[in-house]
Amino acid sequence: MAKSEDLTRIITGCKKGNAECFSQLVDIYSRRCYGYFYRLTGRREISDDLLSELFVKLVEKIGSYKGGSFESWLFKIASNIFHDYLRSKQRYKKLLEVQKKQLESEVTEPKHREDDRADKLQKELGKLDADTRELIMLRFYSQLSFKEIAEMRSEPIGTTLSKLHRGVKRLRELME
Amino acid sequence: MDKRSQNDEDVKALFEKFVNSEQAEQIEEDFLKAEQILRSCPAPGPDNEVTAGIKSQIAWALLDRKESASKRKALKAVAVAAAFIVIAALSVKLLEKQSQPQEIIYASIIPRAIWESEDIVSDDINLATLTAEIEQIKDEMLALQLGDYADNGSGAVEEIEMEFIEINSDFWKG
Repeated sequence: MAKSEDLTRIITGCKKGNAECFSQLVDIYSRRCYGYFYRLTGRREISDDLLSELFVKLVEKIGSYKGGSFESWLFKIASNIFHDYLRSKQRYKKLLEVQKKQLESEVTEPKHREDDRADKLQKELGKLDADTRELIMLRFYSQLSFKEIAEMRSEPIGTTLSKLHRGVKRLRELME
Repeated sequence: MDKRSQNDEDVKALFEKFVNSEQAEQIEEDFLKAEQILRSCPAPGPDNEVTAGIKSQIAWALLDRKESASKRKALKAVAVAAAFIVIAALSVKLLEKQSQPQEIIYASIIPRAIWESEDIVSDDINLATLTAEIEQIKDEMLALQLGDYADNGSGAVEEIEMEFIEINSDFWKG
């Protein structure tokens, strides 16, 4: 992880529109953000797209970063991008359902690639509800404190702690 | 086992605010175990092509941003110039209103009736006399030039000179 001073210098460079500084940000955060997207979607190609979207969004929004935890700010954007994806997925599903009814034919979503499904953890994560899964991934990949996560989700810290604990306990049970 | 989470937070202490110490310890155990599971099954990272593609997209986005920034600057300059012109025009109009020339009334020292009159004789008798005498001298000069005077004209010239002196002194006397 980049040192705080290095990160400040990089962010300052990004705000000035320095492509090299953005490139450094990609190097620092792409793996963690990709992991976050991958664990939530289970699909590499979607994670590729979401990661690209995140960093392009970062170029647009870097001016609005006014200090504080950069990770918190970054993962808030990542979370919004993921929710937008979910919404579009819902729309896509609805469209498919309409088409299915109209054509009276069975339309199924593309199947996961074999290598994407090989991951046991990924399978077990799928058994958790979406919100809990996202919360666990946010905690693990963003490395934000419970307090920061609670603030980000605009909920009391007790609620965040409770949801997270239920999630990790279930995950532990599923994986053991 | 390291009893602190990857975020370096004291999970047990945090949960002790909500549950008893024994339960908090169990919760901490769950968190640490979950972190261990997640670490042992790392998610794949992005391909190099993907990160290279992202960097290239960023470069384009930055270029776009610069272009739109310069467009914004140009538009701003045009807007400022337009505003300046409007303000200048309004100011000029306002100043014009404030400094509209006062109507100057010109008055002549010569009475208007005299100034407009063409009847010189009735307006100024002295001027009329002078005009008549100038006319007379003009006639006498013409007669001299034509040789109307028999005595070589010397007497006539003297007479004219005398008349000139007289007229001059009369005129300045008023």
